[in-house]
Amino acid sequence: MSVEPFNRLVKLAARAFYDDIAMKGDNQPKTGRSDNRGMAVVVLDALTRRQWVREEDLAKDLKLHSKQLRRTLRFFEEEKLITRDHRKETAKGAKVYSAAIAATSDGQPVGREGEEKIKLHTHSYCCLDYAQIYDVVRYRLHRMKKKLKDELDNRNTVQEYICPDCGRRYNALDALRLISPDDEFFHCEKCNSELVAESDKLAAEEMGDGDDNARRRRREKLKDMLQKMEVQLKPLMEQLSRVKDLSVPEFGGLQAWEARASAAARANGDSAANDLSKASQGQGYGGTPMPFLGETRVEVALSGVEVKEEDSKADAGANSMKVLPPWMIKQGMNLTKEQRGEVKQESKIDSGLSAPMSDDKKSKVNEKEDEKQIQDEYVKAYYAAILRRQQEQEEAAKRQQKELENKISALNDVIDTPNDRQVGIKSKRDVYEREDGVEWEEAPTAGNTSETYKLNDLNVEAEASGDDEDEIDWEEG
Amino acid sequence: MFFHIVLERNMQLHPRHFGPNLRDKLVAKLMKDVEGTCSGRHGFVVAITGVDSIGKGLIRDGTGFVTFPVKYQCVVFRPFKGEILEAVVTMVNKMGFFAEAGPVQIFVSNHLIPDDMEFQSGDMPNYTTSDGSVKIQKDSEVRLKIIGTRVDATEIFCIGTIKDDFLGVINDPGASA
Ligand SMILES: [Zn+2]
Repeated sequence: MSVEPFNRLVKLAARAFYDDIAMKGDNQPKTGRSDNRGMAVVVLDALTRRQWVREEDLAKDLKLHSKQLRRTLRFFEEEKLITRDHRKETAKGAKVYSAAIAATSDGQPVGREGEEKIKLHTHSYCCLDYAQIYDVVRYRLHRMKKKLKDELDNRNTVQEYICPDCGRRYNALDALRLISPDDEFFHCEKCNSELVAESDKLAAEEMGDGDDNARRRRREKLKDMLQKMEVQLKPLMEQLSRVKDLSVPEFGGLQAWEARASAAARANGDSAANDLSKASQGQGYGGTPMPFLGETRVEVALSGVEVKEEDSKADAGANSMKVLPPWMIKQGMNLTKEQRGEVKQESKIDSGLSAPMSDDKKSKVNEKEDEKQIQDEYVKAYYAAILRRQQEQEEAAKRQQKELENKISALNDVIDTPNDRQVGIKSKRDVYEREDGVEWEEAPTAGNTSETYKLNDLNVEAEASGDDEDEIDWEEG
Repeated sequence: MFFHIVLERNMQLHPRHFGPNLRDKLVAKLMKDVEGTCSGRHGFVVAITGVDSIGKGLIRDGTGFVTFPVKYQCVVFRPFKGEILEAVVTMVNKMGFFAEAGPVQIFVSNHLIPDDMEFQSGDMPNYTTSDGSVKIQKDSEVRLKIIGTRVDATEIFCIGTIKDDFLGVINDPGASA
């Protein structure tokens, strides 16, 4: 969902239709100073850079008087370009919005929490309604073209008839009186001569009682206008056809937008958002993904939060690494199974993730008893464990091929292991034993944490295996 | 457009109708007098649907007729500019065609007939497309748009167009017969 083509549409439409609109008060004298033509374009442009925005903030940003801005916005509301929302709110309500803005505007200095301390003020918010803008612009163009063409084609005009002899004029509304029983023509009431239709007679209200010359000029002008319209509005029409099949950016109502934005902010570990809601950070993991402004970035930040929360327990190596979400690692694994070097690198990340996780989980079980968090952690641990198991299997297979080439029976056992180990811990121990334990057991952890196969941290190993067990328990339960 | 409205009228009744059926006589006369008439203000009176009240009669000097003020409900038909109507073609000539929508007469001049329809004279004059697929002749049914009305005190006349989207012939009597 890209906003950019739609923003371009808004900008083009603003320049095409609202360029010379002056927003003046009813009692304001029109002087040079109060001539604010072009303001509409500036406001619309500013709105393309925002989503929902509090109108006071927008006024401050644009250095406009808020009354003046409100008048402009009301005009755009009538033009169906923007949606507005008004609500009474306390300082707290304003804060929700500010947090939402902080989450979406990416560092733009918009939030001004300090200033809204007064209780229950009505605040207005506005936002571009892209879906409606698309329709409105199309309809406007259609009406423009139709109006010109209709007039050119003499539609909706009353045909006039003239008597060539006495010069008396009739129009189509007299038709009933003019038909003659003898032939198919209209006849003059006075002299009974055949009437002729007057061509190119345009609508009377447009024309007044203009003569032939005026009529011709009018016609020329219409043709000219139609042609100019085609040329000058071409970029706009092209943009319309460009966005035709794109999905329209939809921010939803103010409330929904705020909820989404603050959820995203929470997931981001944004301090302002965290203040707002005491809802657990752990839920942030499964929180709503931000539907705008770069989903990917949010996802990365999600796992970043985990590391931050637990960095007292996590080892330094894990922190410095770029941590990927578990599901992503899994995908990577599948892709690069054949490439040993990459597998090793990823398994490093894996240990960084899983070791602190299991640790964290234990402490949480002991301390908080927070069901939801535990579940989340289990899911993560589960993914991590799956990955590690896959890696272990690969490592083992590789290792055996190198070192135990002559022991064919042992190799067969290892190949069998995946199926066995799905069932339970017991079979896993089996494998360990058969592979002459120590060296084999070390292999995954060594591979995970360092370049050599030497075990460097007993603690990590213990946790890793413990994690494995937990995972399997959970799976069975 | 149709409207259901309440109108008032002073009815004069001959003394010979005075008797047990006075009210019935009055209503019958009202129907006879009013239905089918046209007023510029309200349009055509299509039907009387009810009599609300009959006031006290007033004997007129000299004649012996009695005037009753009568309030009645009726359905009226009033065409408006911009209204879409379905009408039956009554006459086709070189200048266009006439059609009727109930009591209303509508004239569609030839420049408001689509450009691809040409006039064909003969004993059954008509407007026909070049491929002959669409034909407007007497008794054709057309959907048209009213672009002008002439409202006199006792008459409403309309001019219409079929030169727009979704207007034109809606049935062809020649094809169905
Ligand atoms: Zn004449």
